[in-house]
Amino acid sequence: MSTTLLPEDLPLDAHTRTRSAQTKRYGFFPGCVAKESCKELFNSTMLLADKLGIELIELTAASCCGASVVNDVNRDVARVLNARTYAQAEALGLDDVITICSTCTGHMRAANKELRESEARMDHANAILGKFGAKYQGTVTVRHLLWLLIDDIGLDNLRSMVVHPLNGLKVAPFYGCHIIRPESVNGWESARNPHSLEDVIEAIGGEAVDYAGKTRCCGFHIQLEKDNVATDMVGQNMRMAKERGAEAVITPCPLCHLALDGYQADSAARWGRTDLPTFHLPQLVAFALGVPPDKLGLNKHLIDPRDVLVDRDLIA
Amino acid sequence: MAKITLDIFRFDEATDAVPHRDAVVVDVPETTTVLDALETAKAEIDGSISFRRSCRSAICGSCSMNINGITGLACKTPCNTVMDEKGVVVVDPMPNFQPMKDLVVHMDPFWDKYSRLKPYLQPADADSTHERERRVSPEDMKKLVDVANCIMCATCYALCPVVSVDPAFAGPAAIAYAYRFIEDVRDGQRKERIAQISEDYLWLCAHCYACSYCPKHVDPHDRIIDVKRASIKDRVLMNERGPRHALVVSKTIKQTGMLAETEVIQGTIGRFNVRGLLKVAPLGLRMAAKGKMPPPFVKPIPKVDEVRTIFEALEVPVS
Ligand code: SF4
Ligand code: SF4
Ligand code: SF4
Ligand code: SF4
Ligand code: FES
Repeated sequence: MSTTLLPEDLPLDAHTRTRSAQTKRYGFFPGCVAKESCKELFNSTMLLADKLGIELIELTAASCCGASVVNDVNRDVARVLNARTYAQAEALGLDDVITICSTCTGHMRAANKELRESEARMDHANAILGKFGAKYQGTVTVRHLLWLLIDDIGLDNLRSMVVHPLNGLKVAPFYGCHIIRPESVNGWESARNPHSLEDVIEAIGGEAVDYAGKTRCCGFHIQLEKDNVATDMVGQNMRMAKERGAEAVITPCPLCHLALDGYQADSAARWGRTDLPTFHLPQLVAFALGVPPDKLGLNKHLIDPRDVLVDRDLIA
Repeated sequence: MAKITLDIFRFDEATDAVPHRDAVVVDVPETTTVLDALETAKAEIDGSISFRRSCRSAICGSCSMNINGITGLACKTPCNTVMDEKGVVVVDPMPNFQPMKDLVVHMDPFWDKYSRLKPYLQPADADSTHERERRVSPEDMKKLVDVANCIMCATCYALCPVVSVDPAFAGPAAIAYAYRFIEDVRDGQRKERIAQISEDYLWLCAHCYACSYCPKHVDPHDRIIDVKRASIKDRVLMNERGPRHALVVSKTIKQTGMLAETEVIQGTIGRFNVRGLLKVAPLGLRMAAKGKMPPPFVKPIPKVDEVRTIFEALEVPVS
C-alpha cells in the first residue's frame, strides 16, 4: 500500500493518466477510411466527443499509419511514418493520441513500441525526421476511443449520460484483430476473452451477444486477393452471431465495418441470410447519448441499421 | 486434490455417424495438465478415450487440441488455468481438421503443405563437388533459430481463419518453414521456393495474428511478412494481386500521404482487367447508391513532401 496522502478529490487513477488526458484534450488520428468511404464514422465521433465533453484535436498533417500493408514492402517505413505523426502530436503539446480504427490502433502501437524500446530505432527514425526539422521524443501513447470511454470517461459515468438506452437491443461485439492481437502490442485487455465492447454495450442499455466470432478476423485485408475468401469469413462470423440471437453488430474498426456491412449480401448464398446491420462504435454510443439519429449517417450503410432501431421502438 | 470434469468430444469415424460427448470426473491436483488429466481418465475410467501424445513436455507437438474453446498443447495447459467455477474442462479436437477418433484428427492436409515445400536443403552445387562443409555465420543462423523451434503441432493452422474457409491456403506453419529455407544461405532454390509458396497463397494471409498463439514463439505471422518482402525484393511473380496490392498501397501513401482506396482497388485488380473489376462492381454500385464511395482522387495531406522524404530515405519500393 502506498503511504502517500492524496488529495481527496483526486481520482485514484489520476497518476496513471497522461498530461493531455487530464485536460481532456486529445490528439486525434482518424485514419484514412474515416476520411474516405466511412465519413459517417468521422462525423459521429466528433458529435460523440461533444457529448462527452472532450476535445479531439485532429492531427491534420498526419499520414496513413501504414495499414499493415506497407510492412509487406519495407520493414522500416511504417515505423518512421508514425514517428512523424507522433512528432506532430508532441509539437501540439498532445501526448495522448486517440484512434477510431482497430487496424490503426494495432499498427500505430506496434510502431511506437518499436521506437520506445530501442534507442537505435528511435535515432534511425529521428535522423530521417531531422531532414525536415522534426523530432519524436517518445512521449506519445496511442489508444483507441473504446479504451478512452472506459479509462477516462468511466462506465458508470457513461451510463449516467445515457438518454436513449438501447432497450435491450441484442448487439454482437466485433473487435477487429488489431485492437486485441498481438497481446504484446495491445495488451489493454485479454485478447482471448476481451469484454470492453460488451461493457460499453451494456452501459448504453443493450444486451451483449457472446459468440465465437467476436475475436475472429473479417478478412478485409484479403478481399481483393482471392474471390470469396473474405466473403466466407464474414459469412461464418455473422452466422455465429445470428445464431446467438444478435440483432445488430458493433465494431470499433471501419475496415471491419466495410467488410461486414458490404459482404453479408454475398455471403448469404453459402452461409444463409444474416443481414445484421453493423454500427460503428461511436455511432451507437452517440445515439444513446442523445445525438439525433439523422446526424449519424445511418443511411450510408448498405444494411440499413434504422430498421432494428424502429423494431425496438428506439426511433420512429 | 480437486474433482475435475473432462467434457470430452467422442467420435469414431469407423463406427459413428455423429459425435457425442462424455463427461468423465477425475480426482487430480488442480495444477495437473489437461494431458495428465486425460491420461488419468484413460487409465482409471475409460481406456477407449483417444488422443495423441508422446513427450508430455511441449516438444513433440502431438497433443494440440481445443481446450475450453482455445487451441493449444494439452501438456502445456494446467487445468486450473482453463477450468470454470465448477471445475469443468471442455476438450475438443483441433478445429480446421477432420476428426478421426475422439481428439485424434487427420493431419494429412497439414503435412501435405510441408511436403510441397521440399523441406530439406537444396544447395546450388552437389555435396560431392563441394570441398568443405557449408559454413553459416552466427548472424545468418540467428534469423533461422526461432523458426527452427517449430514443433509442427499445428496449433497455428487450427487457429487460422483463412484455412477454415479456404483449405488451399498453405497456412502459417508451412509459410514460416518456407522462410527457414528461403533465408538459409546454404540453399540454392530461393526464387523457386518463393514462387512455390506464393502459389500456395502466401498473399492470402489476412494479417489477423491468430497464429501469434504459437506455443513455441515461432511468430509465423512475422515470418510471413518476411517472405512477402523477399518476394518483392527478388521480384518473384510480381504480376499477382498480392504484390501489386502492397506496391500500390505504398505508392498512394507516397503520393498523397493517405491510402487512396479507389486507386488501390484499381491497381490491385488491374485497370484493364475488366472481368476482375466487374466482380467488385456490384459492391461498388451498392456503395455508390448509398453515397459511400471513396473519392476517385485523394487530396495530398499537408506537408506531403515529408512523407516522400521518408520513402526516399528508406528506398521503399512503389512499383
Ligand atoms: S487503418 Fe488504414 S487506411 Fe487507416 S490510417 Fe490506418 S492504415 Fe490508413
Ligand atoms: S478483423 Fe479484419 S479488418 Fe478488422 S482489424 Fe482484423 S484484419 Fe483488420
Ligand atoms: S509455428 Fe508454432 S503453432 Fe505452428 S506448428 Fe509450429 S510450433 Fe506449432
Ligand atoms: S496471421 Fe495469417 S497465417 Fe496467421 S492465422 Fe491469421 S491469416 Fe492465418
Ligand atoms: S505431448 Fe508432446 S507436445 Fe504435448
